[in-house]
Amino acid sequence: MKEKYFKFLLGVSVNWIGKLGMILTTSAFITFIVVEIPRLLGILTNAYIGLITYLLLPFLFIIGLILLPLGWWKYHKETGKSLDELATERFEDDELRAKTYGSRIFRVVIILTIANVIFLSAASFRTMSFMDDAEFCGTACHSVMNPEWMTYQDSPHANVNCVDCHVGEGVGALISSKLNGAYQMISVTFNLYERPIPTPVHQLRPARETCEKCHWPDKFYGSRLKRIVRYDSDETSTAKYTTLNLKIDTGSKVGKAGIHWHIGKNNEVKYASVDDKRQEMLWVETKQDDGTYKKYINKTLGESDNSFEETRIMDCVDCHNRATHIYEDPRKAVDIRIATGEIDHSLPFIKREALSSISKTFAEKELAKEVIRTHMERFYRNNYSSLADTKGKEIETAVKTLQRVYDKNVHPNMNIEWGSYPNHLGHDRDAGCFRCHNNDMVDESGTAIRYDCTLCHNILASDSETPFQYLRPVEKADPDSAMHVYLQEEFLNSYK
Amino acid sequence: MKRTRSLIFLVLFFGIISYLPAQKVDSKVAGKCITCHKEESPGIYKQWHSSNHGQHNVTCIDCHGAKSSDADAFMHEGAYIATLVTPKDCGNCHPKEAKEVGESYHANAGMILESNDAYLAHVGGGSPVAIVGCESCHGSKVIIDENSPNKLAKISWPNSGIGRINPDGSKGACVSCHTRHSFSKAQARQPEACSKCHLGPDHPQKEIYEESKHGNAYYTNKEKNNLASDSWVVGVDYAEAPTCATCHMSATKKQKVTHDVGNRLKWSLRPPISKTKEDFAKKRKNMKDVCLACHGDRFAEGHFYQFDALVNLYDEKFAKPATQIMDLIKKKNLLENKAAFSNDIEWVYWELWHHEGRRARHGAAMMGPDYAWWHGIYDVIHNFYFEFIPEAKHLNDKDVNDLIAKVMSDPMHNWLSKDTKDLKDNINSGDHQKIYKQLFNLK
Repeated sequence: MKEKYFKFLLGVSVNWIGKLGMILTTSAFITFIVVEIPRLLGILTNAYIGLITYLLLPFLFIIGLILLPLGWWKYHKETGKSLDELATERFEDDELRAKTYGSRIFRVVIILTIANVIFLSAASFRTMSFMDDAEFCGTACHSVMNPEWMTYQDSPHANVNCVDCHVGEGVGALISSKLNGAYQMISVTFNLYERPIPTPVHQLRPARETCEKCHWPDKFYGSRLKRIVRYDSDETSTAKYTTLNLKIDTGSKVGKAGIHWHIGKNNEVKYASVDDKRQEMLWVETKQDDGTYKKYINKTLGESDNSFEETRIMDCVDCHNRATHIYEDPRKAVDIRIATGEIDHSLPFIKREALSSISKTFAEKELAKEVIRTHMERFYRNNYSSLADTKGKEIETAVKTLQRVYDKNVHPNMNIEWGSYPNHLGHDRDAGCFRCHNNDMVDESGTAIRYDCTLCHNILASDSETPFQYLRPVEKADPDSAMHVYLQEEFLNSYK
Repeated sequence: MKRTRSLIFLVLFFGIISYLPAQKVDSKVAGKCITCHKEESPGIYKQWHSSNHGQHNVTCIDCHGAKSSDADAFMHEGAYIATLVTPKDCGNCHPKEAKEVGESYHANAGMILESNDAYLAHVGGGSPVAIVGCESCHGSKVIIDENSPNKLAKISWPNSGIGRINPDGSKGACVSCHTRHSFSKAQARQPEACSKCHLGPDHPQKEIYEESKHGNAYYTNKEKNNLASDSWVVGVDYAEAPTCATCHMSATKKQKVTHDVGNRLKWSLRPPISKTKEDFAKKRKNMKDVCLACHGDRFAEGHFYQFDALVNLYDEKFAKPATQIMDLIKKKNLLENKAAFSNDIEWVYWELWHHEGRRARHGAAMMGPDYAWWHGIYDVIHNFYFEFIPEAKHLNDKDVNDLIAKVMSDPMHNWLSKDTKDLKDNINSGDHQKIYKQLFNLK
């Protein structure tokens, strides 16, 4: 039986091309089986093995299969013999003799073909699912994707696969993403890519197709309370609260529009930006009830700045441009870690020192992490020597936390430093909302797009001592009393 | 009876209106300003918040509120406001200060277009330097531009010069000394408040003060000078050292604080030949009153005696003869080029009085010996004998040469043709000094 297949294999490999094809196909097949079994058993977990089993081996297998008929064809050309003559020459008469279910050779060919089809479909299924795995995207091109992989793992979308947003559904999406991936492989291999990878990514799948699978505009209603804690740089790192009641409604009711009005059912906002960077706006148009558009133009930009190719219809990513790959602002990163307790609030000057320990960037991550450690340890040793005994564990936890923060956000090999990528959500460090909502975006009468603070949020505290400062009774002697009254009334009147 | 009643009425009337705020302001409007500007311009917010204004609920709109009819008023988030806050605006709450400023020499600092300084900056330099150089200190006319978002033309805003000519007709800018938006008393009382402008080669008041014992004592004891105190009477609330404000403006036991900075000055030392001010005896008395907080009468008198003599020395020995010669040259049209400052000798004469002569006089006024002599009269001498006179002689005009000969034959000048040993002997014997005796008793 074994001999029968072996003879067949020898028989079909008529010359060196055929032999090479046979060797490739057979050895790829055998290696795949050998590697896939331990992976199925959970013994092998490395993502790089997948690169071999699901990309390289099926590729070699197919190459081998193609070489076989090529070998036949070459042999035919050189000797001028027909297929029948070839068969008679390579195989014994007995094997070629016709029987009820075809000749023996024919049956071998059928069986092997079925085996090939099964193997190829199994392999390609495995290949596709392997490439759909976030781990593949995040680690296959390690140096390039590592920053995105790290921020992704720490993000609200950490349980959503990369391909769900980046590839989308349908054959068209798949093909375009694979073509794009092929180019990326070339650019990584030959070091053609830019560092950091420039944003915005223009070929991203339309957000309305991807994001709205889970978050659809009809369900953005009401408001959302957002509490921000900032810590001062004094010894006790005094907490200051900013509480915003974000008006996030899509605004189907008149006068109740909120921030998601921009993507509401009947609304459309179009814009163009300088160099298609989506940072400095050239003009914005909003669709009116009668179907016409009202245009606002950036009056500070002359004709020469009008370099754009892309007219965008606003969707999720125009504001939520970092919904997943969130790079933090160092100040905010420290504030959040203190608020969550990952960094102990009771350590003296913890805000000031933690921030300064991570603010400097170095060519090597390891050096930066070492600097974070020495900075923190030295500060407490020199200024609060007794703390080493009583708060040693807290200091150590703070150091580790800060190192993790740094590790996630700063990537010297990709030239990513603090603030390399803008975040358009809100208006914390980058312009965000104020890209359009500013004094310079004016309609033909010179009226600017509204940009007053309470347009998008009620303010219930603003760097205040308590989280709901402005809902408390007004103290007349307080210099802020006028603001206090104004914001309290603004909030109360919003919910009549 | 009728008179008593009307008197009571008047007292009540003024009593009541003085307690009313100058402008009725909707606190909701003020609250909206603070809300956004706390985020948008946190520096302004923080300065204001800790200022006396902030602490007494004087808010943005109290100063920046405007009437729709004001030339610089613009609609901003539902209220008419103006960027510019003029002495007239400040005067709503601080009428005495605004009145004094309006009458002071400072308030007229913006009317410089006719001066030689402004002429030179415009012809020699050009309008950009006239704006950022001259007008930054002097102030200029605020130009309204209807197309500008805040109605102020960029060419005249920023404009915080002390003699700013405002669209509401008032003159001056309180912020040139009372830096916005903290308007700190302590800051305005420090010498640095003045030295944004009062420094440099033509009027080095800051440098002279730093050289003087007054400055020395101030920088040593700054903390003890009670700079932030509401009451700041020299000799009562502080005694370590005077600042510019102490002598020129602030309260003494007898005088109230004044924003009319010339009110204690006998001399105007600005022009080529020094002039005494109107009512100078009273003004000198005002200054002496300040001195007496820390000095004895004889000390103060002695200082003025020495100071006046130096002013007279400069005037009589150098300023008057040089001016006479210059006037004659101009009268006879002897200069090669027509425009002012297009001939070397004009620059020489200019620096003689505008730079060197002022340095000497200011040095003497504020007890800065180095400025009186090395940066002052020393430079005047060198310039007068070895640049000005030779330049004038170069013109080869008989009348000019005769005038020069007459000047040089004066006992104050004829040392140039004498023997050094004789001169030294005369100095040692005191005879030489007698030449200058009259300078101590002029005016």
